[in-house]
Amino acid sequence: MGVAFVAHCLLNQNSKVLDGAHCAGVYSPIIDVLREQGWRIEQMPCPELAFAGLGRFWAVREQYDTAAFRRHCQRLATAVAGAIEARVRQGEEIVLVGVEGSPSMGVTITSSDPQRGGRPAWPDGSPELTGGEGIYVEELHAELGRRGITVRVAGETHAIPGHDEAVQRARLESVLEHRDA
Amino acid sequence: MRDERSYRVALVADRYVNPEPGEVDGLAVLAAAGWGVMQLPDAGYPAEVARPLLAEVAEQVEEFSRRGYGFILVGERDGLAEALAHVGVGVPDGIAPASAAELREFLAAQPAPPATAAPQ
Repeated sequence: MGVAFVAHCLLNQNSKVLDGAHCAGVYSPIIDVLREQGWRIEQMPCPELAFAGLGRFWAVREQYDTAAFRRHCQRLATAVAGAIEARVRQGEEIVLVGVEGSPSMGVTITSSDPQRGGRPAWPDGSPELTGGEGIYVEELHAELGRRGITVRVAGETHAIPGHDEAVQRARLESVLEHRDA
Repeated sequence: MRDERSYRVALVADRYVNPEPGEVDGLAVLAAAGWGVMQLPDAGYPAEVARPLLAEVAEQVEEFSRRGYGFILVGERDGLAEALAHVGVGVPDGIAPASAAELREFLAAQPAPPATAAPQ
């Protein structure tokens, strides 16, 4: 097996934006799959927690896409890429497990609404999900690219309409087994 | 949506997150008890890899501390005290459990986090 670098909130739901914690602490549906299959777990920092705090609002990618947040993510990405590079040098396989729909941690789906801003009121169901990476994941891939490292990605899908834990598990297992290649 | 967070966070040495066979599975105990986990860098990492990771852990602990979340230390990690001191936070109460039962007992004895007493 190898090393799964996981989004912070998969081990610590206390880091989520308020009203976003799906469970008390450890999000077992993802972590259990990784452990069952013999993957070592390493937790990445939450890009939003230290930057915007525990009282932050729900936000889309455009709201976080500032020069200051990019610099923050670049700092985190440099630290994490150092760990990934050390594991790669040990011959380990690497998988990155993010959070789909997140403005920071999305790996194939992020959130977007160019009009979002000002007083925080918008109708439920705004079509904010869009294909792409969150800002931290984008910066991490850039940093890994500079080091000549490529990684496979998977994502937790609670924020995606029609979320199905069995489908989430099957997708994760597919990535872990490299059936996505 | 109902927020399920516990307001309880454990700083956890890597060996309790990725235990060798026969060692204490701290992650399983903490998950069952509803604690969030902040994993500390593997002791095998060289200092130049571990130091920036510890700095990020400390910065996040600072935010949890300011907001009244409860936190503890499970195991130990060289450099953690210095990283926490840099953000003005002390090393929390801790344990290096020799068994899962010992860890469960320690968790059960923790006081309610201040954040749970404040209006949410």
